[in-house]
Amino acid sequence: MAQAAPLQALRARIAALDPASRDATRSRLSLGDARLDAALGGGLTLGRWHELIGEGLERETGAAAAAFAATLCAPLARRGAVIWILRQDDLYAPGLWGLGFPSTRLIQVRVRRDAEALAALEESLASPGVAAALAEVDRIDLVAGRRLHLACATHGSTGFVVRRRPFGDARRLQDPKAGRDESEASPGAATRWRLAPAPSSPPSGSLLSGLPDEVASGLGPPRWRAVLDRAQGGRPGAWLVEHVDGAFPLRVVAELADRSRPSGRASGPGFGPGQSGEAFAAMPLRRAG
Amino acid sequence: MRRLFAVDPAAAALGLWVGQPAADAAALVPELTLEEADPTGDHAALEALCDWAARFSPAVAADPPEGLILDVTGLDRLWACEHDLARDLETRLARQGVPVRIGVAATVGAAWALARFTAAPERPARLASGEEAEALQDLPLAALRLAPEEVAQFGRLGLDRIGHLLSLPRAALVRRFGPKASLRLDQALGRMPEALVFRRPRAPHLARLALAEPISTPQDLARVTRDLCAQLCRRLDEAGLGARRFRLELHGVDRRPRVREVSLALAARDPDGLMRLLGPKLETVDPGFGIEVATLEAQETAPDRSRQRDLGPSLDPGCDPARTAVQDPETLAPLVDRLVHRPGVEKVWRAAPNPSHLPERACRVLPPLAPPGEDMGERGGEHGGEHGGWDIARPRPVRLFARPEPVEAVALAPDDPPRLFRWRGVLHRVRLAEGPERLAPEWWRWSWDAAESAPERDYYRVEDETGARFWLFRAGTHAAGAPARWWLHGLF
Repeated sequence: MAQAAPLQALRARIAALDPASRDATRSRLSLGDARLDAALGGGLTLGRWHELIGEGLERETGAAAAAFAATLCAPLARRGAVIWILRQDDLYAPGLWGLGFPSTRLIQVRVRRDAEALAALEESLASPGVAAALAEVDRIDLVAGRRLHLACATHGSTGFVVRRRPFGDARRLQDPKAGRDESEASPGAATRWRLAPAPSSPPSGSLLSGLPDEVASGLGPPRWRAVLDRAQGGRPGAWLVEHVDGAFPLRVVAELADRSRPSGRASGPGFGPGQSGEAFAAMPLRRAG
Repeated sequence: MRRLFAVDPAAAALGLWVGQPAADAAALVPELTLEEADPTGDHAALEALCDWAARFSPAVAADPPEGLILDVTGLDRLWACEHDLARDLETRLARQGVPVRIGVAATVGAAWALARFTAAPERPARLASGEEAEALQDLPLAALRLAPEEVAQFGRLGLDRIGHLLSLPRAALVRRFGPKASLRLDQALGRMPEALVFRRPRAPHLARLALAEPISTPQDLARVTRDLCAQLCRRLDEAGLGARRFRLELHGVDRRPRVREVSLALAARDPDGLMRLLGPKLETVDPGFGIEVATLEAQETAPDRSRQRDLGPSLDPGCDPARTAVQDPETLAPLVDRLVHRPGVEKVWRAAPNPSHLPERACRVLPPLAPPGEDMGERGGEHGGEHGGWDIARPRPVRLFARPEPVEAVALAPDDPPRLFRWRGVLHRVRLAEGPERLAPEWWRWSWDAAESAPERDYYRVEDETGARFWLFRAGTHAAGAPARWWLHGLF
């Protein structure tokens, strides 16, 4: 009995050190859809860092990934500062503003190299007053991932790493299959998303037959094919999500098929402009296991 | 004709004089060494000397061609008396082979005269305030900083001492010789103020540390800098001020000052934060043969409006700040400072709406912690949305290219959006399109001709079959034989 109390205290200390038990108590950010939140184990974990990878051309331009990241960050930006670290300063604040992100308060930092971007990200995450920090880097190694994890964990800010190769890659240009490093493990990331744009559904009343004859037929809200490759404390999945204006940033249009071939459905012939997303959602396509 | 520009004491002893024809001088002294005069080089050397002299006083003005004016007011805190300062300056310059004559007085004019026209044993000559008239009256008129022809004019009338001018009635002096002599006399006697252009803006907040022995190890440099930071920040604290720029000068045994500057996002006086920013910069200092004197100067001081620290846990790094802190410039200032001074960081900024409809001009670059009131320009209200941002009715891309990239596009009709286009070698079939949004050049910013020839741009938002969205524009309209050109300006 006399030894029980110290034992209890030790257990409490271990629990405080153990990331698994700490994650359970960590606050989470709801993405606005029960299916997404469930796969993430209750929402996007705050106080960790998340990895976003664009697919195909997106790996170079990083447009969809940036839009998705801004969508995720928009609720965080109301709690504190958001820092965005880039190597190429082509981020356009009015575009982010249009996605509901308060980009007039966004602090942008331009650096020269990946390593400097990661160091600046770590510095930002470890500072008071920062709600979220994003960096666009090409690669992130074990040590850097671990350091980001620690910076997030000690200070409770949320990090995002957008994997981007802003100035292209000669190898990739010659052979699109060469140098595919998306499958490289990025240790320490709480979630890992792969993102590609998806065809939107035009606003009702417009023509759907290929190119509309009326010029002002318009575009619907942007859609992305988001593949959750990895989620600590959750389970992977793939969704077709749409940006919505409102308290929650995302709406799930459809749940998609196996993540190992994420492009099969979305850009295949079955998913034409004439087919609505709701019909697609009826198909039980989630990955088994 | 080539003439002598300057002579050294040895040459002067041989009877050579400034302005003498070079051929005459060479004939008189066959072994004479002549050097080309280099006024630009002389001026640069004088400015370098100015920078060096900042170790004695923060306010140093160059007095071309050969003079240096140091404002030593109030420096008796640092030296026992002005005489010590002058001695120190003299010995240091003499050690470097720079001959120097020093005069200390309450006015620039008197000090100038003393330095140039007193006999050697009395130097460094020093005058107390109020003794100017008495001390100057035996000096020649050239000591009043008059041009030689003006001195000659007085000389023809038998006036060759300053005392002669002092005894003349003032009105007659001005009437007969113009205001210059009278002005110089007044300035020398302290009856008229004299403005000086100092090499650097005056900074009243300066900390200085003179070391008994030169130091050179990084640890010593860091310790000295830390002491200076503490000293200066304490003084700023007493004055209730913070500063946005700090300038550290390390004066070595050689004549080169090593300058490191730190600028802050918000005025501050936190010695530890300052040291964190200065520390990495010290690593690049080459101490040479050692550092003797270090000064730290606070510039751009402003009343420090920071709230009370130390109370309340909100600024303590250990506890959960991101939840509670709304964007508070004071909380972010240390981070911004560290980011700005981090190696490899090229730019830290915030984008704010700019009243322009052209996409490339719609953003203004602001300092990261500029107050929110500066978000909009004076005319900003008419353009931006209701929340002080951009107009959300006009969708804009997430990525905007610095310069639009040319694309090959095919449109069915001249005014239609493109049906397909090729960008970077990849063909994109357009599935949905929206537009056009016509943006005309801002004619009021250009000359009329330039504005007239600049094409209007018709912007289209298009989505291809994979869902990727592009912001394309057509420059101008189709003309016979010259199809309009298409450009890609951004990505959604």
